[in-house]
Amino acid sequence: MLDPQVLLQIGWTSVATSTCYVLFALAFALTLKVARVWNFAQAGIMGLAFYAMFAAMLKWGWPHAAGFAFGLGVAIAASVAIEIWGYRVLRRRHSSALLLFIFAIVVAEFIAYLLTLLFGTEPQSLTKSLVSEVYIVRGVAITSWDLKALGATVLACAALSAFMRFTRQGQFLSAVADNGELAELYGIGANRAYLVAMVIAATLVSVGIYFYGTRASMIPTAPLELMLLAVIATILGGIGSLPGAGIAAVGLALLQSSSILVIPSQWQGSLIYFVLFAVILFFPTGLRVPRWLAGLGMPR
Amino acid sequence: MEYVYSILVLVGLYTILASSFNLIIGFGGLISIAHPIFFALSAYVSALANLHLGVPIPLAILLGTLFAAVMSVALSLPSLRVSGDYLLIASIGFQLGFVEVIKNVEIAGAASGLTGIASMYSGEHRSLAFACTTLGIAAVVVWAVHRLTHGEYGRAIQAMRDDEECFASLGRSAMAIKITLFAVGSGLAGLAGALYAHYFQYLSPEQFGIIQSSLILTMVVVGGMGTTLGPVLGALLLIALPQAITFLNLPPSVMAPLQGMLYTGLVLVFLFVRPAGLAGKPIRQ
Repeated sequence: MLDPQVLLQIGWTSVATSTCYVLFALAFALTLKVARVWNFAQAGIMGLAFYAMFAAMLKWGWPHAAGFAFGLGVAIAASVAIEIWGYRVLRRRHSSALLLFIFAIVVAEFIAYLLTLLFGTEPQSLTKSLVSEVYIVRGVAITSWDLKALGATVLACAALSAFMRFTRQGQFLSAVADNGELAELYGIGANRAYLVAMVIAATLVSVGIYFYGTRASMIPTAPLELMLLAVIATILGGIGSLPGAGIAAVGLALLQSSSILVIPSQWQGSLIYFVLFAVILFFPTGLRVPRWLAGLGMPR
Repeated sequence: MEYVYSILVLVGLYTILASSFNLIIGFGGLISIAHPIFFALSAYVSALANLHLGVPIPLAILLGTLFAAVMSVALSLPSLRVSGDYLLIASIGFQLGFVEVIKNVEIAGAASGLTGIASMYSGEHRSLAFACTTLGIAAVVVWAVHRLTHGEYGRAIQAMRDDEECFASLGRSAMAIKITLFAVGSGLAGLAGALYAHYFQYLSPEQFGIIQSSLILTMVVVGGMGTTLGPVLGALLLIALPQAITFLNLPPSVMAPLQGMLYTGLVLVFLFVRPAGLAGKPIRQ
């Protein structure tokens, strides 16, 4: 029999760890919803944000807040460049979906190679020590990292929800996502909406990668694998559903953490790929998000 | 001369790989990055069949090729059932997942690699014989791809790629064509993989990673997607270019990412400057 205390600990740790995945999944799902691109270049943005923060915090000795701001700036600048000089040009030329896919995946790979050249393949993290303060609450170990990551993720989700629901720009994003051509007839600039979606995605990714980097170490090719989880969460949550993607990311993190109870450690790395196949095979259109949750703020 | 022959062997192998990938992505319009894993699966199956079961090399190569084709159906059938987009996503998982699996399979040498693979030829002129064989097979593959894509079946492939709904309304099965193209393309990649195993006589999971995907994609995009000669030009250019960098005598930690940047950078340049590639007709923007 499994000790309920152990299960509780696994559950808590999974929820805490899932915060990064939730942010990655929201960023990916938002770009897919608004711009209708499978933005694999997000992996490159994640890598750039991480290594910019790493350089600022550990190489140049900047304080964490300044290092984070630098990483965020680099991520936003790269996202804007990819949108304006990449996707927008390809869209204007009426390029096929195939070319958009190739562009996105090749940009991600190019950035990974560039980061490998600059920083090597040695695993790096954003703090000298990955250990954080631990509190024991009813037998469950809760770290200060867990609390900070959860707080930041809840705040980011609430801000995104409020932005999408209550601001004109957010409503424009939803309009473009629903029908870009019709939205343009009403004077809503689709290009501006795509750009805003990319900037929001870069912000979410930067917050996520900051927390990931203060908990685990990273190599330049890791973002592509991290992205896979975001992609699975987006499919599983139902394409176009932001709450769905977020919830699916939590579920996947739970599955990944609890699998240590049944799967030998050397096969842990392969689990996510088997999940990917199971999702495509059995839930290609995703799982339904309850109505009450869909109505909480973030438009589906 | 040994060095020149080994370059020629690589040109032959990559011509097969690029032409077969072009069949999938260029002619079929199917997006996948898992081509190197079919190359790998066949290489391992062929090597292991010969090493442990004593299967003669030509038969082992055939076995590896068939295995790659069958495994491609396992990837394409569930993902294409939904939409073409899912094939790309599933292919990323398939590529990374199988590399991870190979790293843990002891009989395949795990992460340290498989050694002791028998060579197809022996003796003084081994490399020359191998270069002739691979270049000959590459020529046959290019011709076969041309025949397949320019006859009656080729017109069906083009119609399916250009307007799938219209194609289906004529009572034709787009799914059948897609799965067939994917299986044929992956089988040919498998053929290259099995030849690779019996020439280089060493396999390791690192040889079939994401850098291989970039390399093959670069060959097709730079050469010209959907053209017969494009992948041949791409393979020639992309095998020759790294040789030029080799003479710079850079350490491996610099060389590998530099090559990767060169491949992906070339794809980006061609996507924007000459999307039709070297062999394609320039597209008026």
